[in-house]
Amino acid sequence: MDPLENAEPQGYKWGKGTDDSASRTAWARFSSWLECVCVVTFDLEFGQAIELVYPQDVKLTEKEKTSICYLSFPDSYSGCLGDTQFSFRLRQSVGQRGSWFGSEDTYSGDAPVTLQRDLAHYFGYVYFRQVKDVSVKRGYFQKSLVFISRLPYVSLFQSLLQLVAPEFFEKLEPCLEAVCNEIDQWPAPVPGVTLNLPVMGVVMQVRIPTKNDKLGGSPLKQAHKENLLPAPVVLPTVHELDLFRCFQSLLIHIQMLWELALLGEPLVVMAPSPTTCSETVLALVSSIAPLKYCCDYRPYFTIHDSEFKEYTTRTQAPPNVILGVTNPFFIKTFQYWPHVIRLGDLKMSGDLPKQVKVKKLAKLKSLDTKPGVYTAYKTFLHKDKALIKRLLKGIQRKRPSEVQCAILRRHLLELTQSFIIPLERYLASLMPLQKSVTPWKTPPQIRPFSQEEFMKTLEHAGPQLTSVLKGDWMGLYRRFFRSPNFDGWFRLRHREMTQKLECLHLEVISEADLAAWIQDKSEVEIVDLVLKLREKLTKARRQQLPVKEEVLQKQEKHVETVICSLPEDLQAVLLRR
Amino acid sequence: MALRELKVCLLGETGVGKSSIVWRFVEDSFDPNINPTIGASFMTKTVQYQNELHKFLIWDTAGQERFRALAPMYYRGSAAAIIVYDITKEESFQTLKNWVKELRQHGPPNIVVAIAGNKCDLGDAREVTEKDAKDFADSIHAIFVETSAKNAININEVFREISQRIPVAEASGAAAGKGFKLRRQPSDTRRSCC
Repeated sequence: MDPLENAEPQGYKWGKGTDDSASRTAWARFSSWLECVCVVTFDLEFGQAIELVYPQDVKLTEKEKTSICYLSFPDSYSGCLGDTQFSFRLRQSVGQRGSWFGSEDTYSGDAPVTLQRDLAHYFGYVYFRQVKDVSVKRGYFQKSLVFISRLPYVSLFQSLLQLVAPEFFEKLEPCLEAVCNEIDQWPAPVPGVTLNLPVMGVVMQVRIPTKNDKLGGSPLKQAHKENLLPAPVVLPTVHELDLFRCFQSLLIHIQMLWELALLGEPLVVMAPSPTTCSETVLALVSSIAPLKYCCDYRPYFTIHDSEFKEYTTRTQAPPNVILGVTNPFFIKTFQYWPHVIRLGDLKMSGDLPKQVKVKKLAKLKSLDTKPGVYTAYKTFLHKDKALIKRLLKGIQRKRPSEVQCAILRRHLLELTQSFIIPLERYLASLMPLQKSVTPWKTPPQIRPFSQEEFMKTLEHAGPQLTSVLKGDWMGLYRRFFRSPNFDGWFRLRHREMTQKLECLHLEVISEADLAAWIQDKSEVEIVDLVLKLREKLTKARRQQLPVKEEVLQKQEKHVETVICSLPEDLQAVLLRR
Repeated sequence: MALRELKVCLLGETGVGKSSIVWRFVEDSFDPNINPTIGASFMTKTVQYQNELHKFLIWDTAGQERFRALAPMYYRGSAAAIIVYDITKEESFQTLKNWVKELRQHGPPNIVVAIAGNKCDLGDAREVTEKDAKDFADSIHAIFVETSAKNAININEVFREISQRIPVAEASGAAAGKGFKLRRQPSDTRRSCC
């Protein structure tokens, strides 16, 4: 890379207008990263309250603000002294819509499905400080700095908080003002690009993944290949957590965790701190990447949550969600749930992290319930004992955590891919043959997905080709078909295929000899053709189909030529439209 | 050609023209009506100096008093600081002396200091003589120039002089003789590319 290429100013901005519309455009860059930054404090009279928010004109409903307040503080039971970082996810109020949508399709088009902007939820990234302070009536200083974003960039935003929050607690509002203005100078996130993000006197460097990335490669290595300048803070990833650390007391159950996430089973993670429960939930959700986890998940959930009633009512079966909680009160609430993971403080047995045991749900009763995986679930596939042995040996040999994490991540990735490749292959076979796409007919239909037909393909082209894991793969697929994750995956793929078909059709039409075709056609048929072609063009543009601009232009030319072949009075009518 | 990143911060009272100097250096333009900086602005510009490329990572700080406490974040790890005053405002020169004091006490040990007397196009309204400023700069071994961001006078020169005074890469023991010397300690802003 030419080092001079970077010489241009990075988002320089000279002041901001004071009127409303100007201030909105002024925060445009900030909004591509964050919705807002909040400071939540404890008020003796009102409880948790938002003390500060940037930008000041951010559109949050009262309900959203209340939720943010509750979700930004650890439960009183978790007694977090010092600094605590965790994450939450919150449902957006009905009818609320962010201001930038639609303008940034380049991001959603190129980002992996798992890193899309969440249009229905906000992510909250929290840095909470609780220290003794005699000058405060309550005897404690308690405050949270919270980033609210649509982006699931947990690693980036938690690293940013680590940098910003300690300075903020000392230097207060001007610090926050400065940071928000600096973020407002950041370049927008572009998949595949390594960005320099200047903040508080340092430049953070991070690469935004694309859907075309080779999976399983080390993101660090990718950054090096681009030969960028050394930056003081290089983040290896925007979104990945240290899976090994998150799962260290659950390593022997990794197969079960993966299946529960894949199937979108109702699952509660109960942990002593919001850090542990939120990281574990996010790790579970990411364990099936590159598949998108399509159900709801709440890394940190409290009894004040607006969905509390909805999710804990006993009149219906537990919903397909993963919840992270810390309040022991939830043990009673969730005793009817099929899967509850109760984590304790990490204990060592010898030099290994003590592994929690699978326990009967019936034992889940009292507040002091022991750590364990409370479930009657039996895995469809056998656990990979070699992997577990390798990871545990790694701990004894003091293998670096990043390496352990990479081993675990690779295992999960290969497992998900082994599972999903037969489905992808079968789905591709449902696509009509290219030669059946002709200019004179509407494009042929994609054949319907038949579960039985798919099952028959497994014998020759099943997951056994890429995975050594034995067990009831068929059963796992059958169960998967009933889960929201299958539904989400299928809809997405089906939409992509429909668009692909539409593109092929457009290409075929642009190559067709329309002049010859219209020769023996009636006026009505020709007018009909013109209208159809026009509609196709509009649709292609509106949906931003991945079709070459030349193809579209060629087709526009076609339309003009065809119109010119018509009698003049008709021409006038068609051109006026 | 070797490429070095040099963190540079601009300090000084509000309204003396810190942002205008940066804007002139990076974009070669001038806007008489810019708003006060909030927090800090960040810009980069790469220039060739002898057989090296110097990429300046420029942190243009806010001069307003309420942002005063944030300054350490920006001069921390800086290879150079440009302290700016307004030649038509005696007070801004006094503020500059306070910045020098603060850098001595809390700044990086061998930070290169440049003093820029900006708005030298407004000679008629001058309150700080060139000699006084020059004498002060010499007494602390700092670079000194009078500049005009408006008329593009001596702007590139400030950065060129900074390039000159930056110790030669890797040989951190040898050079830096002319710098703003307090204590010696290898700076981690100069690490070369991997």
